[in-house]
Amino acid sequence: MKQAAKRKPADRNLVEAIVARYEGDEGMLIPMMQDLQADCGYLPLDQLRRLASRLEVPMSRLYAIATFYSSFRLAPKGLHEVTLCVGTVCYLKGSGQISEALRKEFQVEAGGTTPDGLFSFHPVNCVGACAVAPVMIVDGEYYNGITLDSARDILRGLSPEEAPAESEAQK
Amino acid sequence: MPTVTMDGVKVEVETGATILDAARKAGVWIPTLCYHPAVAPPATCRVCMVELDRGEWKQLVTACNYPVRRDITVSVSSEQAVQARAGVMQLLLARAPENKDLKAMARRMGVEGTPYPTVTVSQRDCILCGLCTAVCEEVLGCAAIGFAGRGQDRAVSPPFRQPSEDCIACGACAAVCPVGTIQIRIHEDTGEIEISPFKARAKLLTCEACGERVVSLPVSEEALKRAKIDWEEFRRLARLCPKCRRRDAAARLAESSSAT
Amino acid sequence: MTVVGNERLSAPADLERLREDLRTRRDPAAKCVRVCIGPGCVAKGAMRLLELFAQAVRQTGADVAVEAKGVGCHGLCDRGPIVIVHPGNPSAALAAGIFYQRVEEPDVAEIFRETVLGGRVVERLLYEDPATSTHVRTADEIPFYKAQKRIALAHCGVIDPASIEDYIAAGGYSALAKALTTMTPEQVLQEVERSGLRGRGGGGFPTGRKWRSCRDAHGEPKYVICNGDEGDPGAFMDRVVMEGDPHAVLEGMAIGAYAIGSSQGYLYVRNEYPLSVERLKGAIGQAREWGLLGKDILGTGFSFDVRINRGGGAFVCGESTALMASLEGRPGEPRAKYVHTVEHGLHDKPTNLNNVETWANVPAIINRGGAWFTSIGTEKSTGTKVFSLVGDVVNTGLVEVPMGITLRRIIEEIGGGVQGGKAFKAVQTGGPSGGCIPAEHLDAQVDFDQLTKLGSMMGSGGMIVMDEDTCMVNVARYFLNFLRDESCGKCTPCREGLAQMLYILDRITHGEGEAGDVERLQAMAVLLEGTALCALGKTAANPALSTIRYFRDEYDAHILEKRCPAKECRGLFRYAIDAEACKACGLCKKHCPADAIAGEKKVLHVIDQEKCTLCGMCFEKCPFDAVLKV
Repeated sequence: MKQAAKRKPADRNLVEAIVARYEGDEGMLIPMMQDLQADCGYLPLDQLRRLASRLEVPMSRLYAIATFYSSFRLAPKGLHEVTLCVGTVCYLKGSGQISEALRKEFQVEAGGTTPDGLFSFHPVNCVGACAVAPVMIVDGEYYNGITLDSARDILRGLSPEEAPAESEAQK
Repeated sequence: MPTVTMDGVKVEVETGATILDAARKAGVWIPTLCYHPAVAPPATCRVCMVELDRGEWKQLVTACNYPVRRDITVSVSSEQAVQARAGVMQLLLARAPENKDLKAMARRMGVEGTPYPTVTVSQRDCILCGLCTAVCEEVLGCAAIGFAGRGQDRAVSPPFRQPSEDCIACGACAAVCPVGTIQIRIHEDTGEIEISPFKARAKLLTCEACGERVVSLPVSEEALKRAKIDWEEFRRLARLCPKCRRRDAAARLAESSSAT
Repeated sequence: MTVVGNERLSAPADLERLREDLRTRRDPAAKCVRVCIGPGCVAKGAMRLLELFAQAVRQTGADVAVEAKGVGCHGLCDRGPIVIVHPGNPSAALAAGIFYQRVEEPDVAEIFRETVLGGRVVERLLYEDPATSTHVRTADEIPFYKAQKRIALAHCGVIDPASIEDYIAAGGYSALAKALTTMTPEQVLQEVERSGLRGRGGGGFPTGRKWRSCRDAHGEPKYVICNGDEGDPGAFMDRVVMEGDPHAVLEGMAIGAYAIGSSQGYLYVRNEYPLSVERLKGAIGQAREWGLLGKDILGTGFSFDVRINRGGGAFVCGESTALMASLEGRPGEPRAKYVHTVEHGLHDKPTNLNNVETWANVPAIINRGGAWFTSIGTEKSTGTKVFSLVGDVVNTGLVEVPMGITLRRIIEEIGGGVQGGKAFKAVQTGGPSGGCIPAEHLDAQVDFDQLTKLGSMMGSGGMIVMDEDTCMVNVARYFLNFLRDESCGKCTPCREGLAQMLYILDRITHGEGEAGDVERLQAMAVLLEGTALCALGKTAANPALSTIRYFRDEYDAHILEKRCPAKECRGLFRYAIDAEACKACGLCKKHCPADAIAGEKKVLHVIDQEKCTLCGMCFEKCPFDAVLKV
C-alpha cells in the first residue's frame, strides 16, 4: 500500500530520531536516508539539510548518494502510477497523441508527477502487450485498446484518497 | 628502498611512492589528466596506463596510484601500454572533440584524432576526472560540488543543481581543471566573481585605499577564520618597525634551521 | 516451539543439552506440513497457503499432533507452490514426505483431510515423471533431485528459517561450538584451506588463502563482510540461502571471524531483497537472545556481532570495494585493488569479504572436515555449487550440484531439457560478466576453470538456457545495456567504452550494422579489459565476445544481410501468411495498423511487404498460427 502523497508537515524530530537510531554513525548514512524516504515517501530537501548539518557531512555527499543509488527519489511519487506505452504498435495506434494530450491536461511531464500529486506518468517503450494496443497501465492494472476519451475517464476517476492495495500483477 | 626499472632506467624510490613518482624521478613522461599533487589520485581518467612486468604476464596498471613496495619493472613504451593510453585518449576525444587541452595532450601522445563517434554528452567538455571535487573537499574542506548521477549521467554539480551554499568562490576548481571546463568570470558591473558552470557567485573584496579587486569575500572570511594568530607574538612584533621585524624574523629562521 | 525458556546458552554443554532436548521432544509420529516459502512459491501465493494450513492445524483437536511450517526453497520452482506432507509414522518409503506440487488454495482442505489426517495420497497433486508418465510420491524419486547434492542448501526446505530451534535441532551451531572449543583459529584456517573452498560469488578466489591474508594483515579492528548484493539478472541463489537458512550464514561468519580475529561483521543485502533482510534480522535477534551472537559466545570469551546494511539499488555494489564504500556511507564507486582489501578494506582496516553461499558452506566444512569437502567436485574446484537454472528449460528453479558435473546433465537430466520441444541454442552463465556456451560444448564440466576456457565463467551461478528463437546478438546488446545503466561512471573506459559498444550493437540490431563492427567490438573489449578500473568494466565485453566467438554467422547476417536469423530483431525479418494454414477470417487485416493485408473473407490473405511496418500484430492475432516469421 502506497503512502498518501499529500505532504506531511515537516517533522523536525524525524531526523533526530533517525540519527539516534544509528548512533550518529555517518557510515550508516545510506540506511538513514532509506529510513527518511520510508517515512516521507521521498527525500525532502529540508530534511536532507537537517541530516547533513546534524551529522556534519556536506550536502554534496547526500546529493551524490541520492542520485547514485536507484532506490532514492528526490521528488514525491504520485499516489497512483500511470504507464502509457508508446512503443511502435501503440504509437501507430495513436498513443503518442494520447500521451501529449494527457500531459497537457493533467500538467504532468514524462517521468514526473501531477501538481496535486495524484499520479506519476511514465511513457515507456513497449510493455509487450502489442496485441491489444494502445495500452495504459494504472497501478499495475492493464487497460487495453484505450482512446483519448477512455484514458481521460480512467485518470479523472483516480481516487485522491488512497492507492488501491497492490494487485496480484504487482506482487 | 625499492628500485623501479622503467624502460631500462633504474630509480630508487621511497616505499609507497607511486610509479608516477618514479617516472618523474627517471625523467620519463607519462601523460596524466586527473593527477594533481594537491589531492589523492582519483585514478579516473586512465590515461597514465603503464605495463607492469609480472613474470609470466604483463599487467596494465595506472601509474598515478600504483604503490611501489618492492623492486619492479615497468614499461611505459611497450606496444600494449602505448595502445592502452591511446585508446583511452581516443574515447576522451570522442566525448569532447573540440577541446584544445585534450587535443594538445593527444598530439603529445602521438594520437591522431579519434575513430569513435560522440555518443555521450559532456557538460562543457568535462571529462569527469574529479579533480575539482577532490580539491574542494580535501584541500578546501568545502565540498561545495560533488558527483551526481551514475554512469553516463554522471556529472559534476553542486547539490540539487542549485548554486552551492558551501562554495566560497575561491576558484581552486578552475585552477585544477585539466581541460578548462571550469572558468572564473569577473562581473565588473556588480563587483562579483562567478564560478561557471556552477553558477556560484560571490562579492569581491576591494582594497579600501585603491579599489583594486583582491579576492572573493567568502575566501577572505574563511582565511580569517582559519588563520591562527598568536596575539602575544602579534603585539610584540607590532612594537617593532618593519626593518626590525625583518631582522627578528631572519634571526628566528637561522635559529630554527641550525636546530634541525 | 520454545523449550528451555529462552535462557542464554553460557557454555557449549548448554547448547548440546538444548539440542538433545529439542530432538527428544520432537515427536517422530507427529504430522507435519511443510509449505515452501522460497521466492518462486511466494510469488505464486505460498504465504496464503501457509496461512490456510496453519488455520487447519489450529482447528484440529488436541489429540492429533500436527504442525504446519514454512520452509525454504526446494528448487523445483517451476512446480511451485510445493507442499510436503509428513503423515506421521511414515514407512521408510515415505520418510522424505509426500511431495505435492502446483498446490492451490482449494487443494488445502483436501490435502489436510486426505493426507494429513487420513494418511491417503492425493494423486493428482503428485509429480508426474514425464519419462515414465507415472506419479511419484517423494522428492527422492523425482529426476530433478537425483543428481543434486545439497550442502549449502542442506537445510533449505527442511527447517523453518524463522526458528532457531529448528536449526539447532538439525545440528546448527555445532560447528561454531566445535571451532571455539576444540580448535585454535589456526586450525580452523587450515581446515578451510584444506577444503579447497573457493569464493562462490564469482571470483573463485581460494577462501582459506583470503582468510589467512586477512589474519596476517596489520590493523585493528578486523571486519568480516557477507556480500548479499546478488545483482546478476537471473540469479537468486543467495536469496534462497538468506531466506531459507539464515543461521547457516551467521554461523559461517562467526567461524570465519574467529579464524581471522574479527569481532564485527556486516551483512550487505541488496535493497531489492526486503524478505531476506527480514529473515536475517529475525535470525540475528534469536541468535543474540541465545547468546550465539554477541559478547562471550557460549562462555568461550569470543565475541562477534553483525549488523545488516541494505544496498541502495546499484549492481556495482556487488564489487567488494564499491560495497565497502557503500558501508562507509558513500556512493558505491570501486577503487583500485593494488592494495588488497584484506589489508586495507572497510574504514581502511583489514577486511574479509565473502559471498553468502561461501559462508553457508563453512559450518559443514568444519563439522565434516576439509578432506570430506575435497571428496566432492573436482581437484581444483571442490564441493558443490548452487545454480539458478532458468530460461527456456522445463524444470526452472534452483539446483545444487557437485562441481565437475557436465552442462548436459544439468540442463537435460536435471533441467528436463528445453521447453516446448525447441532446439537448444546456448546456455548463458556468469551473468553480465559471463558468456554464452553453444551445444557443441554441452559436455564440458562445470567448474571455475573449464567455463572460463570456453569464454564464459561460472560467476555467481546464473544459468540461463536459450532456445533456437533467441537472437544472440540481441543477448549481447541486452547485457551491454544493463551494464551501461549500472556502470558507476567513474572511469573513462567503462563509462565511454560501454556507450560506444552499445551504440554499435544498437546499430546492428536495428539493421544499421557496418562492415568492421565486429572488429570494433573486439578492439573495445581489449581496451576495456586492460584499462577499466574494476571487474564490471573489465569483463563487460564478455557476452559480446563469446557470442561473436560461437555465433559469428548471426552477426554477419545482421550486418551484411540486415537479417536476424532468429527472427527476433524487429525489422530484420519479415512476416508472411502461410497459404495452407490461412482460413481467410480477416482478423489480421482488421488489426493491421498499416493496412498492409489484402484479402477478403474466404480469399487468401497476403501481406504487402512494402506497406508492412513489421509491428507483429497479425502474428499475435491469428488464431490459426498462419502468420509466419520468415
